[in-house]
Amino acid sequence: MPNSKTYSLSFLVLFLILILCFLTNISLGSVYIPLKDVFNSLIGSTTEQETWLHIIQNYRLPKALTAILVGSGLGISGLLMQTLFRNPLAGPFVLGISSGASLGVALVILGSSVFGGVFVTFLISKWSIVIAASLGSFLVLLAVLMVSIKVRDTMAILIIGLMFASITAAIVSVLSYFGSAQQLQQYIFWGFGSLGNLSWDELGVFFIIYSIGMLVCLASVKSLNTLLLGENYAKSLGLNIKRSRLAIIISTSLLAGTITAFTGPIAFIGLAIPHLTRQVFNTSNHKILVPAVFLFGAIVMLICDSIAQVPNSDYTLPINAITSLVGAPVVIWLLVRKRNMIF
Amino acid sequence: MKYKYIFLVFTIILFNCKNDSEKHNIETSKGKPINIKYAKGFSVSNHENFKVLEIKNPWPKAEKTYKYVLISKENAAKTSFMQDAYDGIIIIPIKKIVVTSTTHIPSLELLNEEQTLVGFPGVNYISSENTRNRIDKGLVRELGKNEGINTEVLLELKPDVVIGFGIDGNNKTFEIIKKSGVPVIFNGDWVEESPLAKAEWVKFFGTLFNKEKEADSIFNTIEKDYLEAKKLAKNTKTKPNVLSGAMHNDVWYLPNGNSTEAQLLEDANVNYLWKDSKGIGSLSLNFETVFMKAKDADIWLSPSNYTSKEALKNANAHHATFKPFQNNNIYSTINTKGTSGGVLYFELGTTRPDLVLKDLIKICHPELLKNHDLYFFKHLD
Repeated sequence: MPNSKTYSLSFLVLFLILILCFLTNISLGSVYIPLKDVFNSLIGSTTEQETWLHIIQNYRLPKALTAILVGSGLGISGLLMQTLFRNPLAGPFVLGISSGASLGVALVILGSSVFGGVFVTFLISKWSIVIAASLGSFLVLLAVLMVSIKVRDTMAILIIGLMFASITAAIVSVLSYFGSAQQLQQYIFWGFGSLGNLSWDELGVFFIIYSIGMLVCLASVKSLNTLLLGENYAKSLGLNIKRSRLAIIISTSLLAGTITAFTGPIAFIGLAIPHLTRQVFNTSNHKILVPAVFLFGAIVMLICDSIAQVPNSDYTLPINAITSLVGAPVVIWLLVRKRNMIF
Repeated sequence: MKYKYIFLVFTIILFNCKNDSEKHNIETSKGKPINIKYAKGFSVSNHENFKVLEIKNPWPKAEKTYKYVLISKENAAKTSFMQDAYDGIIIIPIKKIVVTSTTHIPSLELLNEEQTLVGFPGVNYISSENTRNRIDKGLVRELGKNEGINTEVLLELKPDVVIGFGIDGNNKTFEIIKKSGVPVIFNGDWVEESPLAKAEWVKFFGTLFNKEKEADSIFNTIEKDYLEAKKLAKNTKTKPNVLSGAMHNDVWYLPNGNSTEAQLLEDANVNYLWKDSKGIGSLSLNFETVFMKAKDADIWLSPSNYTSKEALKNANAHHATFKPFQNNNIYSTINTKGTSGGVLYFELGTTRPDLVLKDLIKICHPELLKNHDLYFFKHLD
């Protein structure tokens, strides 16, 4: 096992890569802005063109920060799920959190066709989609949790999570069938995922919820390590399993729920980042894994976003597609190369 | 297999024929084509006892031309057909019709044939008052959705023809309908590449009702009004910069330079900022690109399906940074709706490009067309 000195060096390198990716992400985009003006915009100084200042300060900067929050948050919620359910396949998508969020959003966007007027007034609210998605993901996760109290087998819980995902998908299908063309369009666009859609106000709210989720996660690091030994063993060490479980679930639903709410369902990151991190760091200690997943998640997301922006072209690709296209082969390659999954 | 029903119908007709001597093979005679100036997607040729309708481009890159024989009941009894040569044999004039797009409704009404409409998928999208009255009286049946038409209800209605449209050739519903013995003709008005070509499809409907002359005169009036408005707009010297479309998530969707929307803007003599882009359909651009080019645009037309400035701002705060947003210069067609919520522009805009053009001229050159009231567009508040 590498000693802590090597880890601090790795963390330093990762941190520097993160800074580099962050700056690269901000300086690349459809519009070419000279590096000098990028830095001037960041420090609030004047730029050659006023529009550049707006693009950097109000579009690229919040987008890059969103990418960091999304990548790190989804990575960590994936790690929490994998540890809690002791299953390498667990993640926000697999356990139905994202489906729950999708259901919430579908009810708001498509629901007015089915349920009529009440929803229309709710739609006017700026935050309706965010609230609906958060509630949806929290309720689905809560349902999974309640079942998990009854059912001891973690594999069964995963399957139940998948079933919840199927049920929500079915309800979304019914709502879609009755939805109008415009509503369907709006829902489909939400499903593409988007990092560049947040204003500073929204980013502020996002950051607050994200921070609460992160704090709960940090408080659970010790219990996460104990949980790895198995529930019975953890109990014998005096761990309050129920309380730890609830804390982990709350942290996950806050992180994954709010991320899905603000940016749409973003595939691959939650499942793959923890595996990528474990392969590189070769440890299962959460004191190391949590910050490492944070850094890896943020870096990967910034890279994916830079690719999605297709620098120097007029187009943007859906971020959801890029995360899968870029990420999944990397994990496959890592696993094939190492021939085993560290878990 | 798909010609099976044609064979069946005509076998029955043949067996019921008392006078076989008048039968002749229609493949041997040549027809006289009707006058079509702009539309490329259909043609009609008049033969002695029947017409042949050809649909060349029902969807983009369609591989075959669909051919239909339009014939009167009397002549049908006297004529035999090379069954493999046609995609359908339709008895005209049509008495009962099912159309599947709201863009087909205005043609029926202009030809005074709205009473023939017996079913429609998604009746709530229809805005026209005349047809709405008929819907309210229960004379037009709801058929569900275009992609999944309720076949049982449709067969119960026994329409003479179903006017379908498809984005490609794979619509299973229409295949089922065809197999049930109801002919389906694909309407390709939406594939046409100019506003007047789309409008000219009124002649397609005219043929089905034996009202070619009426259809011709309706189209000539639309064409004349359109060209006069275009000529009027040419004389102005001011050319406002126009932005169009809006963002959904990170992507700004707006009309491509060769699209019919862009052609209408060109004819309204405005400077549409993406007029030089090549291609039909829509462009999907990054926010940065649009912001750099259109931040100081004068007028913002058709900001997607956002119904108010607040909705635009809520969907994306960047929308509010554009000059037309700050100067209150946004116009949209989305708020002009029928009683059941259908957008009038989507229904009537294709058939009446003259009205659309006049609206655009009125918005962009307020000094012209003083007596014209905006028909489709409304100021977005």
